[in-house]
Amino acid sequence: MKNFMVLLTLFCFAAPVWGAETKLENIRVDTGTPAIKRGADTLMDICHGCHTLKYIRYSDLASLGIDKKKIDDWRGNQPLDAPLTGQMSDDAAMQTFGKLPPDLSLMAKAREGGANYVYSYLIGYYNTAEGVTGNHIFPETKMPDVLGISGAVDATQRTEIQGKANEVVSFLYWAADPHEEERHRLGYSVIAYLIVLTALLYFVKVRIWSRLK
Amino acid sequence: MKNKIVKWIDHRFPLTSFVKHELTGYPTPRNLSYWWNFGFLAGFVLVLQVATGIFLAMHYKADIALSFDSIQHIMRDVNYGWLLRFMHSTGASAFFLVIYIHMARTLYYGSYRAPRELMWWTGQGLLLMLMATAFMGYLLPWGQMSFWGATVITNLFRATPYFGDQIVVWLRGDYTVGDATLTRFFALHYLFPFLIIGGVVVHLVALHTVRSSNPSGIDLADKDNIPFHPYFTSKDFYGLGIFLIVYCIFVFFFPNLLIEPANNIPANPMQTPTHIVPEWYFLPFYAVLRAVPNLVGGVVAMGLSVMVFAFMPYLDRSRIPGGARYRPWYRAMFFLFAVDMLVLGYVGYVPPSDQTIVVGQAATFFYFALFALLPFASKKEEQWLIRRGLPPEVEALMASEVKEISKFPHRRRSGDKP
Amino acid sequence: MSESDALDDTGRREFLVKVTSVVGGTGVAAACIPFIASMNPSSDVLSKATTEVDLGGIPEGGMRTIAWQGKPVFILHRTQEQINAMNVSNGGMQPQPDKQRVQKPEWLVVVGVCTHMGCVPNKEGPGWTCHCHGSQYDDSGRVVRGPAPKNLEVPPYRFLGGDKIVIGEA
Repeated sequence: MKNFMVLLTLFCFAAPVWGAETKLENIRVDTGTPAIKRGADTLMDICHGCHTLKYIRYSDLASLGIDKKKIDDWRGNQPLDAPLTGQMSDDAAMQTFGKLPPDLSLMAKAREGGANYVYSYLIGYYNTAEGVTGNHIFPETKMPDVLGISGAVDATQRTEIQGKANEVVSFLYWAADPHEEERHRLGYSVIAYLIVLTALLYFVKVRIWSRLK
Repeated sequence: MKNKIVKWIDHRFPLTSFVKHELTGYPTPRNLSYWWNFGFLAGFVLVLQVATGIFLAMHYKADIALSFDSIQHIMRDVNYGWLLRFMHSTGASAFFLVIYIHMARTLYYGSYRAPRELMWWTGQGLLLMLMATAFMGYLLPWGQMSFWGATVITNLFRATPYFGDQIVVWLRGDYTVGDATLTRFFALHYLFPFLIIGGVVVHLVALHTVRSSNPSGIDLADKDNIPFHPYFTSKDFYGLGIFLIVYCIFVFFFPNLLIEPANNIPANPMQTPTHIVPEWYFLPFYAVLRAVPNLVGGVVAMGLSVMVFAFMPYLDRSRIPGGARYRPWYRAMFFLFAVDMLVLGYVGYVPPSDQTIVVGQAATFFYFALFALLPFASKKEEQWLIRRGLPPEVEALMASEVKEISKFPHRRRSGDKP
Repeated sequence: MSESDALDDTGRREFLVKVTSVVGGTGVAAACIPFIASMNPSSDVLSKATTEVDLGGIPEGGMRTIAWQGKPVFILHRTQEQINAMNVSNGGMQPQPDKQRVQKPEWLVVVGVCTHMGCVPNKEGPGWTCHCHGSQYDDSGRVVRGPAPKNLEVPPYRFLGGDKIVIGEA
């Protein structure tokens, strides 16, 4: 019986690995607010030109503690509770790329591999023989190498770009699940409470059953 | 004061006698193990799903233009909306886990045998209603997996002879899974849990008529029963505590484990995801469906794989008491069946390849073979066990059962023909 | 086991049950909080709890109606004559000095919902008239003719320096 359970547990962990094709870089997402804020900067600078984040509002960025003036610059005359729409119109995007750049609000959750996928994709560009860029993770992509990893000349530049990618992923990870930190905090309290309660319930049960001969 | 109110009610409604007879004083076998906790747990998860579901429904919009956004609204804007959503999505998986263990307990200990056939069949009905509820609920977020899963499964009804195509259109309310489908699935998803509650009441009435079985599988004398309260109330609550710890670990720390990444993408009728896969609790039956290369054959096989359990009281012909405890052949078949379910689950999950197709077909054949073999194996095993001699405790129990039968002629011995 | 031991045992067991019930009960009560809290306005609704208004475009004597929390709010840029007229008396059915109803005398901010049955009054001559049942209000939003029982509500608002106010925040 016990062996069975061990096998079952191991089996559950093995299964998803068998599904992966290209090896993804395993990163540790920096969930600290400074990294998220730097990621927001990069995103609004580089990504926001083509991508929407329809489930994030400017007021959500304010709640991160980003400078109010910066947010006012970004939103222009849109109200504070407006969503982050892209700057490129749908028609222009279709003309340039042939398909609409996907919305990024949930991108960190919408691919197998999650944050690892997005990071690996951003730094997965390389120069092909024909002089155009390709991507190891998503070969059919129409998106250009915006972070410039394929043109990195030395290790320092490469590290810098990887750092930027990491920060963007931190922001996207937050954007996909803004309540994760709150959820974890509440979770620790709830589990601790339940352990205490279950222990009490156990002792009550044992006490009651000890009455039986 | 409280006694006065209770007395007033008792004159008009059997409150005290009902509670005493069916709840607190209800006689329960004293040797029930923790495997008997899972019925109570299933009832608890049902209440949890209904509660979270109703509060989610206060914010959800069942319209294809609004539904995906409304889920994000719940996750981001609604106070504790994220908690309600994750409780509900984890709760669905918890429900099936608890029910599968509950069924496994019933199969292992032979609790489906006479006189408990109706318990088994009402349980079967409840399982079907639960599967329908889960299937309809999965469409509601209107993600890629929601849409394509619903498309594939509603397509299966084409297998119906003569009216197949019309039935699919009637079911969907449209030629494809669309707004009409989403709206009606929401209405029915809200309704079915209340039908399930009704079914649970019937299931419990049946239980209180035949009373619980027990790990030995042999009907015990009345002296071996103890009142449900406080013994099993305290045991059930303790079990609930353990369950809640595991459940909350998933809800608070690993909620996304049970949500397919593709379902974070709004449904796109123009593009199928590379890999359509149902939730884990449907995987074995999905594998059976794919194992048969013919559409009608696949649908029939899948339906049969769920319904075949209903025949267990008649397939098992052994008169040895109870289930696997004193029956080594049956025990082996039980564990082989469990492994087979895991293999089928794996086959249902991975994208089909030449090897997995063969494995899936073998596992499907083995699945039905076990059921088909049972009538012969159970009889042969009975003869073998009697020849070999049963352990003295069992013989003593069987003998005491005979004594009890003579005292209470209406009580059946497990394994006796009806 | 002596008598007193047996009693102690029962006492301890009852105490254990009591403690467990209290701990469990607290958990059940705490578990209800998310459900009830989820019914409160969500964050996107709350962001609409305040509205910023630019007063620059409203000429003297002019009025603008803006939406705040889904309700109309009248912003009246009063001339000196209007202010003087309002200071003459304390109004009709619900006396109140004009000074108590404004922060700056030339700006009147009132919720444009008749206190009778909720219709939106029209600006007519001095003050407003509600055409549902004939109630009349003066240029301070005070009810001068019924059946409305109360003056038009003054919402919480504050000036944001210069020509801006934010309604919904004191």
